[in-house]
Amino acid sequence: MNLQRVLAIAGKEWREIVRDRLFFSLAFVVPALLMLLFGYGLSLDVENIPFAVVDHDHSAASRDYAYRFIDSRYFQFRGYAGDERDAGRLIGSGAVRVVLVIPPQFGKSLAQGRPAAIQTLVDGSFPSRAMTTKGYVTAINAAFSLAAVAQAVSQASGLSQPEALAQLTPIALESRYLYNQSVSSIWSLAPKLIMVILMLSPPFLTALGVVREKENGSIFNIYASNVSRGEFLAGKLAPYVAISSVNILLLWLLAVLLYQVPFKGSLLFFLPATLVYVLCTTGIGLLVSVLVRTQVAAMIVTMVVTMIPAVLYSGLIIPIVSLGAGAHVVAQLMPAMYYTDIVVGCFLKGVGLMSLWRPLAVLAAYACLLFAIGYHLFSKRPNS
Amino acid sequence: MKAEWQLAWRRFAVMLVKELKQLGRDRVLLAFIVYAFTADIFLAASGVSLSLQHAATLVQDMDHSAQSRELLSRFQPPYFRMDGAVGQDAAALAALDQGRAMLVLSVPPQFGKQLANGQPTSIAMQVDTTNSVLGFLATSHAQQIISQYGLESAMQRLGIGANAARDLPQVQNNIRVWYNPNQEDSWFMGVAEMLNIATVFAVLLPAAAMVREKERGTVEQLIVSPLSPFGILFPKVVSMTGVILCGVALSLFLVLIPVFAIPVKGSLLLFFVLSGLYVFTTAGLGLFAATIARNLAQAGMLSILILAPMLFLSGAWTPPEAMPQWLRGLMYASPLHYYLDIAFGILLKGQGLADLQPAILGMGGIGVLVFGFGLLLFRRQFD
Repeated sequence: MNLQRVLAIAGKEWREIVRDRLFFSLAFVVPALLMLLFGYGLSLDVENIPFAVVDHDHSAASRDYAYRFIDSRYFQFRGYAGDERDAGRLIGSGAVRVVLVIPPQFGKSLAQGRPAAIQTLVDGSFPSRAMTTKGYVTAINAAFSLAAVAQAVSQASGLSQPEALAQLTPIALESRYLYNQSVSSIWSLAPKLIMVILMLSPPFLTALGVVREKENGSIFNIYASNVSRGEFLAGKLAPYVAISSVNILLLWLLAVLLYQVPFKGSLLFFLPATLVYVLCTTGIGLLVSVLVRTQVAAMIVTMVVTMIPAVLYSGLIIPIVSLGAGAHVVAQLMPAMYYTDIVVGCFLKGVGLMSLWRPLAVLAAYACLLFAIGYHLFSKRPNS
Repeated sequence: MKAEWQLAWRRFAVMLVKELKQLGRDRVLLAFIVYAFTADIFLAASGVSLSLQHAATLVQDMDHSAQSRELLSRFQPPYFRMDGAVGQDAAALAALDQGRAMLVLSVPPQFGKQLANGQPTSIAMQVDTTNSVLGFLATSHAQQIISQYGLESAMQRLGIGANAARDLPQVQNNIRVWYNPNQEDSWFMGVAEMLNIATVFAVLLPAAAMVREKERGTVEQLIVSPLSPFGILFPKVVSMTGVILCGVALSLFLVLIPVFAIPVKGSLLLFFVLSGLYVFTTAGLGLFAATIARNLAQAGMLSILILAPMLFLSGAWTPPEAMPQWLRGLMYASPLHYYLDIAFGILLKGQGLADLQPAILGMGGIGVLVFGFGLLLFRRQFD
C-alpha cells in the first residue's frame, strides 16, 4: 500500500465533500438533530395518561376513588362521562386512554363491609402502554382497597387506623435502583442514542460516497489508474471516518452537557472503542456500496439494514435478555448490541476495558470481517 | 377538448411505464423493497416486545423458612423468571453488572419469625433500571406480590381466615383492554413497522427518481419534451405510490394477517384508499427534498432530515401526552401522526369514515399544502 496514493485519494474525496456545502453541513447537522429530537421526543415514560370517569354511584366513596386517580401524576383527568357508550366513543377517538366505570351501590357495599367491583377500560392499541397503565391502575386500586380494609379492621378490632394499616402490611419492599438512580428516562436513553446515530449516519455517508462514483462513472478513472483496491478503499473511507469521529465528540458533548448524563467511565477507553464501532458501521456502508449499483438503492438498503436493528435489536428499547428467541439470535449478529454494552458501561456503570474487552473484541473482529468482505467483493474489473 | 385529454392520458401512460421500467431494472432495490415489506416486518413483529416478560431474577434467601419460600415462589412467569440463587452480595452485583440478571431479591434472616410475630420486616430488591420503564414495571409487580402476601399472612394471624375475604370491603378492579385484549405486541409492532416502511419509501423513492434525472442530465430531455412540469412529476409519484401500495398489500396479506392473526375489523378498501392518499401526499415532502438538492447524496441527507422527525413524532413510539408541549404542537404537522390513527382505527378498532373524519381532514390538509407547495417550487425550477 502506497501512502501517497492513499493520501491523494483521501484528499480528492475530502475536497469533493467540502465543496458540496449542503452535504458537508448536513453530515454534521443530521446526527446532532437526531440526538436532539430523539432525546426530547422519545420518552418511554408513561405519564399524564388521559382518563375519564363514569360514576353511576355519586357517593363519597366513589368520588374518593376517582380522586385517587385525579391526584396521581400518572393520570390526567379529562372529566366525567355520562355512560359507557360515551366512554367507548372517547376511547375510540383516542381522547382518553382509560375509563373508570364505578357501578351503582359502590359506596354502599363498602360501607356495609362487602367487596365492591370497579370496571376499568383500557385502550390496548399500544400494548406496552396498556401494560404500564394496567400496572398503575392496579397499584392505585390496591392502595384504595387496603385503606378500606384497614378501616374495617380498625372498627372491628379497636386498633387505630394507622395501626391497622401497619398490621396489614407487615412486609416493606426496599428497592434500590441501580445504574440510574433517578429512574429518569433520558439518562438511560442518551448513551444509547449515540449508539443508534452512529449506526445510521456513517454507513449512509459511506454508501452514498462510494456509489456516487459508480453511478457517475467517475469510478472508471480509478479502474484505469494504478491505484490498488486497498489504497482506493482506504483513501475513500478515511474522510467519512474523520467526519464520524467529529460526530462522536459532538454527540458525547450533547449527552454530557445538554442532557447532563453523568459520564462515569474513562474517555481514553470510550473514544477508541467508539472509533472501532464507527469503523464497523462504516464497513457496513462499504459492503452495501459494493453490492448495489445505484444511489437510490444504496440509501434504501442502508436505511433498512441499519435502522431496524439499531432501534429494535440493540437494547435501546428492549433489553436483550427480554427479547424473543429469534430476535435474540438476530441481536447477537448485529454490532449494535455489543456497542450498547460499551456505551452504557462507560456512561452509567463506569466500567472500563477490564469488563468490556469482550464486546470490544467482537466489534473489532466484526469490522475486520466487513472490510475483508468489502475488499474481496470490490473489483477493479467489474463484469458488467 | 377530447383529443387533448387523450393526449394527456397517453403521455401520462408512457411516463408511467418509463418509471416502472426504470425501477424494475434496479434489481437490488426491488429485492430490498420486497425484503422490507415482508421479512423486515416479520422480524419487527415477532421478536420484539416492549413489555416486561421473564425478567431474569436472582434470589438471595438468608432465611430459608417456609414463609420466605412461599413468598419467593410467587414471583412467577410471565413477569418474572427465577434464575436461581446467589450467595454473596458481590456475586449478585456482578450478575447485575454483566446484565445476567435484571433483579436480585434478598430475604433477610429472621424474616419468617418476624412475620409470624407480627413485627414489621422487609425485603430488599435491587433493580437494573437501565431501561427505566421495565425497571418501574418490575418494581410495581414486585410491590403487588409482596403486599398481597403480607395482607394474607396478616389476616391469617389476626384470625380473619382467607375464606372470610368476601366479608371485607375490598375493591376488585376488573380491567378490560380493548382492541387488543391479550396485548399482543406483534399487532402493534407489525402495523407500526409497516407504516414506517411505507413512509420511508414514500419520501425516498420519488425524491430519488427526480434527483436522479437531474444528476444524470436526463431532465434536460424531459424539459425539451412537450411535457409540462406536472406531467413529469405526476407519473413519478403515481408509479411510486402504486409500488408502495403493492408493498403494503404484500405485508398485510403475506405477513401480518396470516402469521400474526391481526384482526381486520374495518374495511380494507377504505384502508387502501387512505393509504394511497397518504403515500401520495407524503411524496410531496420528498419532492421538497428533490427541488432543493442538486445531487442524490444531498437528497438522501435531506430526506433523513424530513423522515426522522416524521417517524419519531408520529406517536408510534411516544404517545402525544408524554411529549413536551412544544413537540406536541409539531406532531400535528406530521402526516404520519394522522395515518397512524387511521390505520389503527381501521385495522384494529373497526372505525369507518365518520370516526376518522378529523384524521382524514388533517392528513388531507397537510397533503394538499405540501404537495401544492412542492409542485410550485418544482415548477419554478424550470422557468
